Parts: sequence; C-alpha cells; structure tokens
Amino acid sequence: MIVSLECKKLKRTGFKAAFFGGGILAAAVPALNMAFRSEAYLSMDAPPVKILLNANWQMMAMLNVLLIVAGACILYHIEYADHAIRKMRTLPFSESAVFFGKTAVLVSACILLLAIEAASIFGCSVHWFGPAAGLYREILKNFGFFLLLMLPAILLSLAAASVCRNMWTALGTGVVCVFAATMIPAQNFALSLFPFALPFRTFSDLSGSAARNYAIAGAAETVGAAALAILILKIRRSFE
Amino acid sequence: MNFASLIGVEWGKLRRSKIFLILVLATVILWTPSVLNSELNFGMQAEGISPENNFFIQGFLAMTWFLFPAVMIVITVLQIQTERTDHGILKMLSLPVRTTKLCMAKFAVLVLFAAIQILMSVGTYYISAAVASHIQSYDFLLPPLFVFREAGMIWASSIPMLAVFWLLAVCIQTPIFSIGTGLASIVPSVLMINTKAWFAYPMAYPFFVITSEYGRLAANFSTAEIDLIPWLPTAALITAACLTVSCLRFGQAERR
Repeated sequence: MIVSLECKKLKRTGFKAAFFGGGILAAAVPALNMAFRSEAYLSMDAPPVKILLNANWQMMAMLNVLLIVAGACILYHIEYADHAIRKMRTLPFSESAVFFGKTAVLVSACILLLAIEAASIFGCSVHWFGPAAGLYREILKNFGFFLLLMLPAILLSLAAASVCRNMWTALGTGVVCVFAATMIPAQNFALSLFPFALPFRTFSDLSGSAARNYAIAGAAETVGAAALAILILKIRRSFE
Repeated sequence: MNFASLIGVEWGKLRRSKIFLILVLATVILWTPSVLNSELNFGMQAEGISPENNFFIQGFLAMTWFLFPAVMIVITVLQIQTERTDHGILKMLSLPVRTTKLCMAKFAVLVLFAAIQILMSVGTYYISAAVASHIQSYDFLLPPLFVFREAGMIWASSIPMLAVFWLLAVCIQTPIFSIGTGLASIVPSVLMINTKAWFAYPMAYPFFVITSEYGRLAANFSTAEIDLIPWLPTAALITAACLTVSCLRFGQAERR
C-alpha cells in the first residue's frame, strides 16, 4: 500500500524518466567506448565482461551514485515542498514505514538502472567478443553484486534527504560524499568500505575472498544504515 | 534599484543557508588526502614534475574535475529553491525591477560563489601545504603570484560552465532533470578534454585549463595546449546564448 502510494506521488516529478534516461546514458558508455576504441580492448587477454567492466564501470558507477543521490533528494523534496509531510504524518503510517516505502521505490529504480546497464554490457560483449558460455551467469553475478553494494548508499542518501528540509542541503551532502568516495584509493580495504565508495567496486576484478568480504560489508552496512535511519526518524519525531 | 544593491539582496537571501558549511567540508575533504599522502609527491620523477608543483596540481585537478562543478550545481539548486519555497519568486516579480536584471543578479551571485569556493581552496591549499612541508621537512609552498594566477584562470574559464548550469536551473522546471542533467554533464568531461572538440564543452573548461597546466609543469608529460582561437569565441558565444535564453525564460512559468 505504502509503496503504491509513493509511486503515485512520484507522478509528474520526472523520477522514472530520470532513471530511465540515466540508465540509457550509462548504457551508452560501454557501447561508445567499444565503438571508438575496440582494437585496444579486443587485444586484451581476459573474460569480456571483466574487460568491459574494467574499462567502463567507474564512469557508469559515478552516474549511478549521482542518480541515487538526486533521486533520494526528490523523494523527500516532494514531502517537504508545500508541507506535504504534515499531511503524511496524520495518516496511519509510521514515519519509518514511509522511509522504507521510499527505499523500496529507489531500490526498484536502481534495479531498472542496473538492468539497462546489464543489457548494454551483454550486448557489447556478444557484439564485439562473440557469444560465450556462461555469459548470463557472469553478468548476473556482477550486477547482483553491484545491487548489494549500492544498498548502503541508497539508504544513507535517503536518510540524509529525510533529515534535510531543504533539498540542496541533502544534495550538497550527497555530492560531497560522492566526491570523498572518488578520492579513496581502491587498494585500502578499510577506507574503501565507505558506503559511497562501495558501488565503484566490481565483482569480476576481485578475488573470491575479497568479493565475499565486500559482500559481507555491503550487507552489514545496509543493516547499519537502516538502523541509523530508523533512529534518526525516531529522535526527530520526539523533538517535533 | 541598481544592480549592485540587487546583488546585495540576492546575497542576503543565501547568507543564512549554511552553504558555507558544505563549501568548507568539501575543501577539507579535498586537501586532507593530499596531506596524508604527501610522500607520494616525491615519486614523480617519471613525469618530471617537482614535488611542490605536483602537490598543488593534484589537488586542483581533483577539485576541477568533479567537486567544483558539482558544488556549483548545488548552489544553483539553492538559488532556485530559495525562490520557489513559499512562492518567494512571486514577490520578487512584483517588484519594479526588470526580470533580466533579477536573473543577471542571481547569476552574478553564482559567479561570486565560484570565486569564493576557489579562494577557499587556495586558502586550504596554503594551510595543507604548510602542514605537509612540516611533516616532510620539504618546502611545498608555491609563490602566491603563481597560485593566484592559476586560481584566476580556473575562475575565468568556469564562467561559461556556470552559464550552462544557470540555464539548466532556470529552464528546466522539474528539479530532478536540472540536477540530473547538470551532474551527468560533469562525468564525460574526462573524455572530452582528450578530444579535439574540447572547446565546445564548457563543463570541461576548468579541468582542461588545469590539465594543460600539468603538462606545462611536468617535463615528460604532454597534454593538449590551450588554443585561444577556437576556444575564446566559442566560449563567449555559449555564455552569451545561455545567459540570453535564461534571462528570457526567467520567471516565465510563474508569470503564466
């Protein structure tokens, strides 16, 4: 019920179109890269999915994280603009239910985003490298991993958006966090666990145990971020 | 009301917005890794750049590629949202001031914020260079004349980019599209500076200026030179076009 309500509120905000457009833009990155510089990549000796993700994922992940931050801002902006949140509070929903309704919407939007990107990686790999056995599995594994590592960033940017009455404060915080993530060296495991840096990691580039560590960290941070968000909402409710 | 007092009014609206907190946070995050990894500056013999130049240029590269344009987008959101909240724009439009003037005053404040952000980065650069000099016992400080010349170049080259961001903020009524288009336009600037058509992409200008400065300072690393001839006319044309359209469109949705 709450999710369908959230979807209804998003009409005319351009949310779905933005994610769809963002997905197309991100999907164009590997296609354009291969179209212009295919010789450089075709001569590499590695699985196609790994080559494609190594060459393009940083830019695609950047687009994804920026879309998550902007999407989270919009999801709460529609509540704060014209004091709609006051009406929401009179309804028989708890504020954390509203928060998780919004999370569900943002996660589904990210699944759409990743599906478009996965289709593009699949298309590029079949078109330029030829069909290969186990391609589906490889792509599914990689994109499942991406989705898991995106969850902490999704929850935290929504938590920031729920705290900030003004959209630009949440956006500014998100942008600074994304920038901090780009400054973090990938070799440093402890620092690369920063929630906004996780979506830049790729499954195919990590060894089995490192990938498992990142997956555990992603799951743990998701639970932590959800708990933090509930706590923030509860504290704020008691002061208002 | 003259233009200067209009800028004063626009500035006053943003004074209590706590935007400075975000600017300070951003510059601190920008320079902290440079101080922590200051020993890496000594391993740049292959590029042929001196440690103090490398310290300076790496920080400003990180700033111009993402942080500076992204923070400018946040400021355009701030300016537009401050007017839209509680329909403040309606009161502004009812004043005996031409909308063109109002629009240009807001743009002037945006340009002013760009200068503030760059100056804050320069200030933090000097603090962090002093700290790094103390840690490494090596003088990382560069002469102010050189640093301010670079800062001035970044600022001047960012004006066309700011005009594009302002156009996006004014013309696109749906916030997610104006933010999304702006942020998405920053990402390809890394690719654009390596193409021959870099001068047609305003979002890449500040980054291009610093990259080409890097090539000038590093003896063994060549980057594209700045060609003033296709660049300056194109940049002037883009700026003029963006500002004209945004002045024409400013407040149009509210006046309907």
